[in-house]
Amino acid sequence: MTPSRFCIFDKPLPYPEAVSLQEELVKARLADEIPDTFLLLQHPPVITLGRRGRRSFLLASEEALAQEGISVFTSSRGGDVTYHGPGQWVLYPILKLSRNEMGAHGYLHALESVSLQTAIHFGIDAFRKEGKAGAWCAEGKFSAVGFKFSRWVTSHGLSLNVRPNLGAFDLIVGCGLVGERVASFKSVLGDQCPDMDRVAEVIREQIEHIFQRSLVDISEKQLLSPQI
Amino acid sequence: MLVPEDLKYTESHEWVRLENGLCRVGITEFAQSQLADLTFVDLPEVGSTVEAGDEVAVVESVKAASDVYAPLSGEVVEANDALSDSPEKINEDSFGEGWLFVIKPEDPAALEALLTAEAYRELLPKE
Repeated sequence: MTPSRFCIFDKPLPYPEAVSLQEELVKARLADEIPDTFLLLQHPPVITLGRRGRRSFLLASEEALAQEGISVFTSSRGGDVTYHGPGQWVLYPILKLSRNEMGAHGYLHALESVSLQTAIHFGIDAFRKEGKAGAWCAEGKFSAVGFKFSRWVTSHGLSLNVRPNLGAFDLIVGCGLVGERVASFKSVLGDQCPDMDRVAEVIREQIEHIFQRSLVDISEKQLLSPQI
Repeated sequence: MLVPEDLKYTESHEWVRLENGLCRVGITEFAQSQLADLTFVDLPEVGSTVEAGDEVAVVESVKAASDVYAPLSGEVVEANDALSDSPEKINEDSFGEGWLFVIKPEDPAALEALLTAEAYRELLPKE
């Protein structure tokens, strides 16, 4: 199994900082200065638009959003508009995909599997939807996927709604999917919803299984240092 | 996998065709096959100056955005605007109608430093 690094952030990381951190990590990964690295974190409330993200999918003005404490950013990832905030895990894998490993489709499938298997672990009947990226259950979409390749090094990734404020999704048309409902582990499991730490453990296990990696835990400070 | 003999290539899967001193650039059949169905293309502005290795365009499929890099330094003199309405042309004809942009190279000799079809073929997974 390929050794890779896994870093959970203690505090919510502002979106722009997460973007510049990923850019640095992508550069370092391209230069083989660091091994493959998975970041698991939460963001303060933020709405992000993908490269082709349409502002028409914002259902409130940026001023009104700012008053709610929600900022808006355009991201270099693929996909359309989405919301991130506390109670939602965001997984950013910085991986150098080898030529024989997988293309965009295989990578998308693997990311979706992390969300699906994590949900299934907690007893949620989760599934894919033909022609749509992400992970779903009867109550709606609980995981969004959007990523970027830079010379086949990945950045951005997936978000998984554990117990975020789902009301925030009313401010956008999520991933440009008109009329789609948004769900979370909390909205499905109610009082039985696991805490964030427990979900993080399961996400970590699923990564090891799906990406065939053995993960080494590192701190934020070690991210840009070459030693595992 | 199609790798035309008369083109030059980069390790990041762009191709370059020399036409009367200008360089037409696109992504290879292998690159498009790895990205699957493309839905969006962001092209460089005509008149902009680019350095070899710069991120100058973006192609996007399912949920993946992928950078396209300038194979040579020079000026962008043409961009394939038809792709905004039909990015699938890159999937259908990556070496033809699916071209992305044309660069007027600062130093035409720089083309020689790019990969030959044979060298590029070596980079692809063995079928």
